[in-house]
Amino acid sequence: MNTIGCNEFLDRLGDWMEGQRPAEAHAHLRTCSNCRALAGDLDAIQQTAHSIALDEEPSPRVWLAVREQLEQEGLILPDRHVPAHGSASWLDVVFAAIPRPVLAGAYLAALIAVGAALTGPGRSRLDDARWLSGTENSTQPLSAQLDTAEQDTFSALKNADPVVAASLQKNLAIVDNYIALCEKSVREDPQDENARDYLYGAYQQKAALLAQMSDRGDFGR
Amino acid sequence: MAEPDAIRLAQQGDAAAFERLYQLHSRRVYSLCLRMVGNTAEAEDLTQEAFLQLFRKIATFRGESAFSTWLHRLAVNVVLMKLRKKSGKETSLEQVTEGDEEAGTPRRDFGAVDIELTGSIDRVNLQRAVDQLPPGYKSVFVLHDVQGYEHNEIAEIMGCSIGNSKSQLHKARMRLRDLLHEAVRAKAREERRAAGSSSGGEV
Repeated sequence: MNTIGCNEFLDRLGDWMEGQRPAEAHAHLRTCSNCRALAGDLDAIQQTAHSIALDEEPSPRVWLAVREQLEQEGLILPDRHVPAHGSASWLDVVFAAIPRPVLAGAYLAALIAVGAALTGPGRSRLDDARWLSGTENSTQPLSAQLDTAEQDTFSALKNADPVVAASLQKNLAIVDNYIALCEKSVREDPQDENARDYLYGAYQQKAALLAQMSDRGDFGR
Repeated sequence: MAEPDAIRLAQQGDAAAFERLYQLHSRRVYSLCLRMVGNTAEAEDLTQEAFLQLFRKIATFRGESAFSTWLHRLAVNVVLMKLRKKSGKETSLEQVTEGDEEAGTPRRDFGAVDIELTGSIDRVNLQRAVDQLPPGYKSVFVLHDVQGYEHNEIAEIMGCSIGNSKSQLHKARMRLRDLLHEAVRAKAREERRAAGSSSGGEV
């Protein structure tokens, strides 16, 4: 069998790593421990590299930040719902009645100032508990009203085109998942204003989606 | 919404279309950024910057190349700019793909077989070694060996020839081999030192 030397093997190393592995190159490796070790190392690196590939999503904050920036630059229009008569009036009621967590946060800040006077400066678990409880108090009514709106919407969906209904339900599931993620972030760091803002934004997205569903009226029939 | 529709609608400023494009591509862009910088917070910032640049320029997208290739070219450029700021050196796609990052051809003295890496490479020490690669090597290695791009796609993303992509990849792997060998030797030295000091202490 033909065989090749080290220099020729090294010339072909790129092809070898691309999977072109002729018999003469195999023959060389059987007789050359240095080239064999080199090829083995490069194979090991390549195989381990595959294992460090990720399929992870960035946190929701990335999309929110992108979207906010694009809105500020006027590249996309804010996804504000313009209420039509009747069909989406509940949305106005929801947002008029419920203060933003940031606003609720101002109220909570006063509570914490009192708490700090008693417990001293610094961040504590007690503060976290107060922030968490305050945020939950301000978002639970909103969440409850959205649940009611969701039930009404699903009642209407019974007569909808199945394809449209499935699509809307899928979108709703995505938003619900996002809300769950934001709630988790708030629970992990109740004093993080951004986390509370994102949670509010998530509820707002759900409200906007439900409003759009209501606006579809006949749901594609 | 299919990608071509999303692109067309995003070019008209449709918010849902932007979000759809983000959903379609954010995982891959984020993974690329994360493997390039090795830090989740930084990778998220870079992902954000890449998509912002994409959406700012989307009206100019004419479909000459695949949308994903265009996006990844933007993302790689954003990462390289970040690495440039970190290192204080000028680094751009053009610079990192023009010729070699180190002068000369790949060296032929690949060393005696003192340690074989097979079995001693794990994800952690490989990522540590990748972090030490020069930007151009790192980009091609991450795109090809980690993310699974073909050389023709990398050539388009990096704006270089296919041959250049292959050459950079080969040099990246050789450099990684050196770095990993060095890490294994350093660990062995450390273990010997620790063993020596503990046995020396037992008088």
